[in-house]
Amino acid sequence: MPDLNQRMISVWAGTVLVGLAMLAPLGVNEYYQSFLLQVFLVIALAQAWNLISGMTGYVSFGHAAFFGVGAYAGALFLTWGFPWWLAILKGAGVAALLAVPLGFLTLRLRGPYFAIAMLGLNEVGRIVATLWVSLTKGGTGLTLSPTLLPSLDVKYFTMLALALGATLLIAWIHRSRFGLELRAIREDEEAAEMVGVNTTRNKVTAFVLSALIPGAVGAVYAMYTSYINPASAFDHARNIEMIVVVLFGGSGTVWGPIIGAATVMVIREMLWAQFPAAHLAALGVLLLVVVLYLPGGLVSIVRERQQKRPDARPGESP
Amino acid sequence: MDLLEPEILLQLLINGLLAGALYALLAGGLNLIFGVMRVINIAHAEFMLIGAFGAYVLFNVFGLHPLLSLLIIVPAIFVVGYYFQRVLIERVVGRPMLTSLLATYGVSIILINVGLLIFSADFKSVPVLQGSFLVGELAISKPRTVAGLVSLILSVGVYLFLERTRLGKAVRAVSEHAQVAQICGIDVRQIRMLTFGMAAAMAGAAGVMLSIIYSFWPGSGVDFIQKCFAIIIIGGMGNFVGALYGGILLGVVESFVGGFISTQWAEAMAYLLLVAVLLIRPTGLKGVARA
Repeated sequence: MPDLNQRMISVWAGTVLVGLAMLAPLGVNEYYQSFLLQVFLVIALAQAWNLISGMTGYVSFGHAAFFGVGAYAGALFLTWGFPWWLAILKGAGVAALLAVPLGFLTLRLRGPYFAIAMLGLNEVGRIVATLWVSLTKGGTGLTLSPTLLPSLDVKYFTMLALALGATLLIAWIHRSRFGLELRAIREDEEAAEMVGVNTTRNKVTAFVLSALIPGAVGAVYAMYTSYINPASAFDHARNIEMIVVVLFGGSGTVWGPIIGAATVMVIREMLWAQFPAAHLAALGVLLLVVVLYLPGGLVSIVRERQQKRPDARPGESP
Repeated sequence: MDLLEPEILLQLLINGLLAGALYALLAGGLNLIFGVMRVINIAHAEFMLIGAFGAYVLFNVFGLHPLLSLLIIVPAIFVVGYYFQRVLIERVVGRPMLTSLLATYGVSIILINVGLLIFSADFKSVPVLQGSFLVGELAISKPRTVAGLVSLILSVGVYLFLERTRLGKAVRAVSEHAQVAQICGIDVRQIRMLTFGMAAAMAGAAGVMLSIIYSFWPGSGVDFIQKCFAIIIIGGMGNFVGALYGGILLGVVESFVGGFISTQWAEAMAYLLLVAVLLIRPTGLKGVARA
C-alpha cells in the first residue's frame, strides 16, 4: 500500500505534469505539439486497456476495435453537421453501446479463451468498415472537410483532457471498492464470486468504461488526421502499442501507462527517424523483454527501491 | 448453373477436404504444443510463413520444386523449433498462461516485421503446378490435390508416431500429466523441445504446401492463426486428433459457404464458428477444460 507521503508525491508530480502540458503549446512548435498530442493519445488508450486487462487480468487483444468504431462514428457525426465536441461524445457513446452486448458475450470466457475471442474483433471491425460502403465509403475512406474541424489547440487540449480523465478514472477505481473487486477477480475469480463479488456486473462495467475511452480518442484522432480508412482506423499495430505501453510501464498501476507511453513514444520516435520499418519489430522485442525479465514493468523498479522489503516482489504480470 | 447438382456438391466437398487437410496439419501442431506445455503459440502461423518463404526462396534461387524443398525445410524448422523451445518457451512454461500468450505475441510481431524488412509487403507465390485433374465431370485443381494429400500423409505420420512409438507415447504421457511422466523417468524438458520442434516442422510443412496454392505476404499469418484457434477450440484444446477433425470440418464448411453464399462470408466462418462454440461451451468443446 502506498503511504500518504507517496500519494502526495504522486499528486504533486501529476499536477506539475498537467501544468507543463497545458503551458506547452505556448513554448513549442507544431511538430512537438503534435508529438505530445500523440503521447496523450497513447496514454488514454493505454489507461483504457489497463482498466480491463491490467486490473481484471482479462487480456484484450482487440481493444483497438473500439478506437476504430469511435473514429468512424465521430467522423460520420461531424459530417452530418454535429459540432465537434458532440461528435466526440457520440463516438464514445457508440463504442460503449457496442461494448455492452459484446462484454456480456465474451467476458463469460475465461483467461486464454477471452484473449482468443478478442483477437479477431479488430479484424471484424476492419471487414465491416470495408464492406459497409453506403455508410463508410469502403476502402476509399472518409475525408473530413477542414471547415468542420477544430483547431490544433482545441484537439490538443481535448486529447490532454481525455488522457487526464482516463488517468483520474483509473486512479479513482484503483482506490475504490470497485477496483478492489476487480483485482479480486484477477487473483482468483471463483474465490471472489464465493465471497459475494458480483463478477459479471463488475467485469462488464469495467469493459464498457474501457471501451468508452478509445471511442472518444478515436473520434479526436479522426479530426486530428482529417482522413480515416479501414486500415488506419482498425490498425492492428494500435493493439500492440496499448499492450506494450502498459506492460512496459507496469500493468494494473496508475503511473505505469503514463511512464510506459512517454518512454515507448520517445523510443519509437527515435527509431522511426533512424529505421522507419523496424519500429514495430522493436516493440515486439520490448514486449518480449518485459514479459520475461520485468513482469512488473518500469514502475516495479521504483517500487522495489523504495520499499526494500525482503519479501517485496514485483507483481506478476497478468 | 444449378448449385444442387451432385457433381457440384461433390466438387465443393473435395475442395473442402483438401483445404481442410492443410488446416489440420497446421492446427495439429498448435494443439500438440498446447497439450504438452499449456502454451498457446500465437507465433505458430509465422512458423508456417517461414516454411512458405523458405519454399519461395529455394524455388527462385535454386529452382527447387517445393516438394523437394520440403526435405530441406522440414528438418531445418524442426531444429529451429527445438532450440526456440530451449531458449524462449521453456522460460514461460508453468507461468500464468497470459505470460506465454504475450511472449509468443511478441515473437509473432518480431517475425512479421522482420519478414516485411526482408520480403516487403508484396504478395508472393510459387507457381509450379497448374491446371486440374479431370475425373468425369469433376475438375480438381492439381496444386490443391498435392497440397491436401501431402498434408494428410504428414498428419497421419505424426499420429502414428504418437500412437505407436515409445517416444510418441512419452509425448502423450507428458501431455496427460507432466509430473507423473517425470517421476516415471521421462526427460520432460527434452520431450517439450521435441514437441515444439515437431510442431514447428508441421507448421513449416504446411507453409510449403501453402506456397503452391495461395499467394502470401509476411502479414498472412493473422488469418491463419485465427482459423487455427477456431479449429483447436472446435476440436478440443490439447487433443491432437480433435484438431485434425476440426481442421477438416472448417475446410468443408468454408468450401460450402464459399460456393453457396460468397467467399467473403467463407473467410468469416472461422470466426463465427469460434464464437458459436465459445458461447455454447465457454471452456471449449472437448479436451482440457481448465488451462
